Formats: sequence, C-alpha cells, structure tokens
Amino acid sequence: MPNTDDFRVKRIQKMLLEMAKGNFFYSLEPSEKNDNIASLVVMLNMVNEEIAAAFIHQGFANAHNTPQCIIQLSLILDAQGQIELVTNGTCSLLSCMPKDLIGKHITELMTENSQRTWSKKMVKHLKRDRSETVLFLEFITNDGLFLAKDCQISVYQALDGSGQKIVLNSVFFSKGEPFETGLPKNKLKVTKGIKEHKVTLTPEDIQMIREVHDTILNNLDKDLPSLKDLALHMGTNEYKLKYGFKQIYGTTIFRFLTQERLRKSKTLIQHSNLSLKEIAHMNGFKSAAHFSRAFRDKYGKTPTDLRR
Amino acid sequence: MLRYQKKYFCKFRVFTSFRHMRRSHENKYAVYLMTEALMHIIYKKDLCIDLRAAQLIVQDRMMLQNAREMPVLCDIREVRRVNKPARDYLALEGSQWITALAFLIDPPVTDVISSIYLGTHAQTIPTRSFTKKSEALAFLKKHG
Repeated sequence: MPNTDDFRVKRIQKMLLEMAKGNFFYSLEPSEKNDNIASLVVMLNMVNEEIAAAFIHQGFANAHNTPQCIIQLSLILDAQGQIELVTNGTCSLLSCMPKDLIGKHITELMTENSQRTWSKKMVKHLKRDRSETVLFLEFITNDGLFLAKDCQISVYQALDGSGQKIVLNSVFFSKGEPFETGLPKNKLKVTKGIKEHKVTLTPEDIQMIREVHDTILNNLDKDLPSLKDLALHMGTNEYKLKYGFKQIYGTTIFRFLTQERLRKSKTLIQHSNLSLKEIAHMNGFKSAAHFSRAFRDKYGKTPTDLRR
Repeated sequence: MLRYQKKYFCKFRVFTSFRHMRRSHENKYAVYLMTEALMHIIYKKDLCIDLRAAQLIVQDRMMLQNAREMPVLCDIREVRRVNKPARDYLALEGSQWITALAFLIDPPVTDVISSIYLGTHAQTIPTRSFTKKSEALAFLKKHG
C-alpha cells in the first residue's frame, strides 16, 4: 500500500495542509524511486525548508506582527525509554492522543535511522547519574509525516528514588494558531529592533534588496562601497537600503558581510594549509588582527586555536 | 605547517599515480576522482546529505585539491535528499576552490534538487545541470 500513487499523493496533501496552516516543521519521507511523485516529494520538502528558514526571521514580507508561537515537544521517559508523560503540544505535533503515547517505547515513534542513533548514544548517557546531550531525531507522526529536529535530552535521578529518568525536549515555531486552543499569551518575536525604523517595502524594493544580498555574497573578498554609494547604484536611498535589509534579513549589511566572510574563512582554516594572514586577505579582511578578533567574537575561539 | 599537513594525510588513504597525476579517494558519501583538468565527485546511492555529510564531502575535496582551483563535475544522480543546512553549507563554505560546477542529473528527482538549489542560492561561479556527461564536460572545459 505505502507505495501506491494514491497513498503517496494523500501524504503530499497532508503535508500541504500543514504548510497552509503555517506548520513548516514536518517533512515527507524521501523515497528511492525516481518518478514524478518522488520529485514532487523532494520539491515539497525543499520548498518547505526554504519557507521555514525565511519565516523564522520574518523575511520577504512586511509581517512584523504575524502571531508566532512556540510548540514544545516534551516527554518524560523512564530509563528504558518508555514514555511516562507527554505534553498536549507533543500530542498535537505527533497527531496522537496521550493514551496512545503513554507506556509506548520512544523508539516506536522514530524512523529506523533515529532508532539506531538513540540506542547507540543513550547507552553512554544512561551510565551517568546526570547527563545532557543534543540528538538529531526523526519522529513519524500518526499521519505518516516526518518531524525531524535537534532534541535536547537530559538524564536525571528521580527524587523519589525510582531511579533514572529521561527528559526529551525540542521547540518548533509555528505561525498563527496551530491548534484549536486559542492564541498563546506570549507572542514570540524573533527579530528585534525593527520597531523604530519601519520602512514600507514594495515588491521591487524587496527584489532590489535581495539583489544586494546576492551581490555581497558573490563579492565577499572585495571592499563594500559605502551604503550611500551602494544605495545610489541600486537606485534607492540609504535609509531604505539600510533598514529594508535589516527588515528582510534580520541583520545589518555590515554584520551580514562579516558573518559570511567568517563562514568561508572557517572552512579554509580547517581544511587548508594557507596562512591565517592569507585567509584574512582572501576574505576581504584588512588585517589579520581584525580578522582574528571578529572570528573570536563569532566562534568563541581565535583562528589560531581552531587550527591547533 | 608541516605537522598540520601530516595530520591530514594520515586521516585517509589517497591513491596516487604520479605519472598521470590522477588521484582517487572515497568516503562514506562520495567517490572522488581527480585529474589534472578536473575533479569528479560521484555521490553514493540513497544517502541523505545532511550538514555533517556536506562538511565531510567538502573537507575531503579540499584536502585532495590542496589549494588548487579547478572545475568540478558533481554526479548527484543517486542522491535523494539534501537538507537545508547542507545546501546552505555547500553553497558558501563548500564552493571554495571551484572554478566551474556541473551537476550530472537524472530527471525528475535530481533535476528538482539541482533546480531548487540553483534557484535559491546565489552562485559565484558558472554552474549548470546536465543529463549527459559529455555536455557537462564540455561546459566545464569552456568555463573552468
């Protein structure tokens, strides 16, 4: 059954329905096939990831006040991995009732890959009294959709002496009201500082700012002209460019430039024998000292430390 | 510097034939064939390329190239999934030392993968997808 076209199309519809509701955290199981439906599944997964990434910093639209909320996947398990407690959010995410989940083994909800990860990694953590780790786990919902996310896992000792317990936690962002429980009290705002400088962006402005973004990416090694010159070149004004960029990408132009330069440098530090000075210059940094400082600010260690 | 270099070369076996300057290498995710003119990377079957996979793929490619810039032929015909963190990594960190990039694809699935990748990530280098290897090689020869 799972391989019939009918079945596969139904899954795609379910996924689209979730996306329509603003839930971009599900995905479809990739298949080994190379047919049109498989290509649609691949495409849907990729488009979904792109929208989800844009949505986190509220980009591509003037939607500062879109209600966003957090849904928490949260479970308590005993030392064997049997589910003792689930939150309502968890049940909604997995489209199950609490009674279907409690008493089940956690691995019954996972893909085979994640089952392997779980049994391999948890042995070590369960040997300790207390332990914390982050595991990338894929769950399968009752509807057959995939839910993949980094999960925070803590092992602790129960106070009543009943031995070890495991807490499994992860957070998902959703748009609007995901489930029929009314609006959350605390609306989440992911980007900050866009209140003071609101600019109204037309679709052309957004297109222009995306061009600036791509141009910067393609010229990381070169000096960036002043914002005034850049704005002039793009046929806009400095104010719109500056605050429009921040609005769309959630960061300033200069911070974005430095961040992307650092990403490239990091790879070169790790995988090449080039001197740090050469790497700094190749990526547009004026001095090795400035490079080193910026690098430490972002990654917590200096380039020299990383290479050691 | 020498110690650093040594550390790298001990990590895996690289088969070299000095007469023709051909090198090959294999890891969990891909097979690499490097000649004087280009780097040929064949992704293995049915693997989901996530961030960790992308990092290893790039690390091994850079180790083989050893700072030499060259055109790259990427055979992704057996790939079925590349997730977002991996795509972002491959587009920026993973595009260094590449002068031109050709994807070898097998429609419809890998066609879609390469189209979305190309459509959503700014390219610094000439990049295109091909179904025929000969056309891909011609493209790399022209732009590489």
